[in-house]
Amino acid sequence: MNRFIVAEPKKCIGCRTCEVACVLAHSGTADVGSLSPTSFAPRLRVIKGLSISTPVTCRHCEDAPCANVCPNGAIVYSQNTVQVLQERCVGCKTCMVACPFGAMDVITVPATKTFNGVTVANGTKAEAHKCDLCVDRAAGPACVTVCPTKALHVVDRAAMEQTLRKRQERAALEAENSPLI
Amino acid sequence: MEKVITVCPYCGSGCKINLLVENNKVVGAEAANGVTNQGELCLKGYYGWDFLNDTKLLTPRLKRPMIRRQRGGELEPVSWDEAIKFASSRLMAIKEKYGANSIMTTGSSRGTGNESNYVAQKFTRAVLGTNNIDCCARVCHGPSVAGLMVTLGNGAMSNSICEIEDTKCILVFGYNAADSHPIVARRIIKAKEKGAKIIVCDPRYIETARLADLFLPLKNGSNMALVNAFANVLLNEKLYKPEFVANYTEGFEEYKAMVAKYTPEYTAEITGLDPALVREAIRMYAAAPSATILWGMGVTQWGQAVDVVKGLSSLAAITGNLGRPNVGVGPVRGQNNVQGACDMGALPNTLPGYYPVTDAAAREKFAKAWGVPSISGETGYGLTDVPHKILEGKIKANYVFGEDPLQTEPELSLVRKAFAELELLIVQDIFMTKTAMIADVILPATSWGEHENVFSAADRGFQRCYKAIDPPADHDVKHDWEIHSLMATAMGYPMHYNNAKEIWDELRGLCHLYTGATYEKMANLGYVPWPCPTEDHPGTPWLYEGNKFDTASGKALLFAAEWRAPLEKVDAEYPLGLCTVREVGHYSCRSMTGNCTALQTLADEPGFVQIHPDDAKQFGIADQALVWISSRRGKVITRANYNDRVNKGAVYMTYQWWIGACNELTVDHLDPISKTPEYKFSAVKLEAIADQVWAENHVQELYGKMKADMRKAAMA
Repeated sequence: MNRFIVAEPKKCIGCRTCEVACVLAHSGTADVGSLSPTSFAPRLRVIKGLSISTPVTCRHCEDAPCANVCPNGAIVYSQNTVQVLQERCVGCKTCMVACPFGAMDVITVPATKTFNGVTVANGTKAEAHKCDLCVDRAAGPACVTVCPTKALHVVDRAAMEQTLRKRQERAALEAENSPLI
Repeated sequence: MEKVITVCPYCGSGCKINLLVENNKVVGAEAANGVTNQGELCLKGYYGWDFLNDTKLLTPRLKRPMIRRQRGGELEPVSWDEAIKFASSRLMAIKEKYGANSIMTTGSSRGTGNESNYVAQKFTRAVLGTNNIDCCARVCHGPSVAGLMVTLGNGAMSNSICEIEDTKCILVFGYNAADSHPIVARRIIKAKEKGAKIIVCDPRYIETARLADLFLPLKNGSNMALVNAFANVLLNEKLYKPEFVANYTEGFEEYKAMVAKYTPEYTAEITGLDPALVREAIRMYAAAPSATILWGMGVTQWGQAVDVVKGLSSLAAITGNLGRPNVGVGPVRGQNNVQGACDMGALPNTLPGYYPVTDAAAREKFAKAWGVPSISGETGYGLTDVPHKILEGKIKANYVFGEDPLQTEPELSLVRKAFAELELLIVQDIFMTKTAMIADVILPATSWGEHENVFSAADRGFQRCYKAIDPPADHDVKHDWEIHSLMATAMGYPMHYNNAKEIWDELRGLCHLYTGATYEKMANLGYVPWPCPTEDHPGTPWLYEGNKFDTASGKALLFAAEWRAPLEKVDAEYPLGLCTVREVGHYSCRSMTGNCTALQTLADEPGFVQIHPDDAKQFGIADQALVWISSRRGKVITRANYNDRVNKGAVYMTYQWWIGACNELTVDHLDPISKTPEYKFSAVKLEAIADQVWAENHVQELYGKMKADMRKAAMA
């Protein structure tokens, strides 16, 4: 089973600390000074509605629509997550259209090329942009670490099974107390 | 990499942070395991430190002393000797000509710390010879201090932040914890998880309302009526504790008579609330084995504020929710050291440790300790008196320390007009601000992170904040207490301290509430809530043990008052009520958070006005469009923000925007006792702007020019 991040809306206070942590974790430098309004693209978004506040992000689906529709094989399953191979992304936005959660975005970033050890600007590069579960970060997803109310959690097979087990036990008890027949 | 323990410089939650330091530069912040924050931080805590690197995103750092030889002339950088000589000689001349009471000073409730506030008020009282010192408590929790001092004898939170999660019922009244104190919001969530009932009284459907058992969306400006209705139900339905009332309170008969007519049915028209909901809410509060009331600016920033505080205090008293753990009254302080500035006597009516200036014995004690013949027993001017007293010709000089009144006071056009009449304006700060821009003398100080000090958290908890870095080499800046000492010495009162600890030790020797709170006890993550009378005392997380109150009689005073409507009325011309509020990412006048990259990335000028979509559509205003908002006092441009959570008929603006400055619109109407402004209600109108391209350009032009002017002035 793929891992994914769930948010508990009851605990979310809409502070957007997770958004900043997400961008910094992917900035390559961890330098707060590297942020800017034009390039700020968190991979989870805090949504505030009439009666809900919660971050929304990728579910790392088992049968991922984004991966299924990608014409260039840029979206793959890896380490129990769904990942984008940016070198293959052409920015066609089919994945954006396919994702039912609005968790996929396509952004453009400055591109560079290296020739004879010299790195120069090379136009822009499109990137399918979504939660990668901070797979390269030893401490796990940055959003989960910083959330002041601990509203964000990584759910993997073991965590899911524990929850299922609890619910099954509760269902069993309820079955005893309220027989249908 | 070095880790240095500090206390967050923003709200009053008292969160401990480890600043990560490399080569005398702060490069990051980690949550430390402090008593109140337990290893968690919020947006500002994690990402609110890079103003230390002089990012100049909003305004540049003040790096050297500057003076203006003529009012309205150019700022000129000078040596410290010249700046001190210039400022002190002018102050002395003004004192000589007009008397000590013609000089006003401020304390600073922000990153400077308790020691410098102690020195600032000592300078004011011992050197200038006046009690004309105040701090921004006046414009925030002043009513809480004034009200609770009378009813319970202590103006602070009765119980600690940590206890909030173990109470069985929280009555949240005019307090948006998610935006003002995320780390307190976290305790409310934990309380809910532990089974507490949550009741929220607020015109907006705030984050806490989402988890509330009961939500009471009262009309803006009806607080007293609702509090009286609560009391009425408690008395009529015999839900109060008669034994507690008989033994530990006074004023019951008058209280009962005053609230007699305020049945939930009578108040329904004022509050807009269903009487059944009001009854259910206060029954829930009364039924809880322990209950806590938390309030914020929604209670205090009204023309009727002190009365409401006393009313809330009375609800706690008659239900016996005082004098034990996990109960009480919680005015949660907004700025990180506004509790501290009050503790240190940066108030016109109290000396350090809350001795009234009218107390002759206390005055004599302080006069003796400070080596002066006497201290004035006359209560000084409050912050909100200042514009009026200047215009009356009574205040001639204003020494502003770590505040930006030209951004944060109500009715800014009045403040500007008054400040233009001053003979001398001294600003001591870390950044160029709107007030510093018109100062005659600028005295640049070290920032939070560049000095060590003690802060007081909202729940009276003293904590130490260590120095992380030296000011950069090109900054010719001094500690705030050094600057006041130099001024004192130049004015003929030799004052010298070697470090902050010397100041702290002098202070605790003079105040019985703080005597035992030593630097050693507060080392690292140490936390000492006052009262802490002796060195072997651990401090006092909750007050009034044995139901003994700090009033003269030892009893809690019960109090209610007739409801008064807000001053301004909405009408055909100004059909909406403006309420000023906070947002999580920015703080105070924004000189600090506006220079933090992450916080400025999330929200920038001209800010926004929250409006219900139905109201917006009626005025032809699109979501995210730039609009004009105006009151009888001013007009600014801002961005419309459709928000289903706000009530119809009211609009909300956060107060830190320099272009979309809501205080151009607010009204200078004050609570008669605490002199706190009615920031929460001004009649306004919104007007759509047809040419949005022009409007966007206009904002950029205004913002660009303002920033360029600030830079030019600071770099002179």
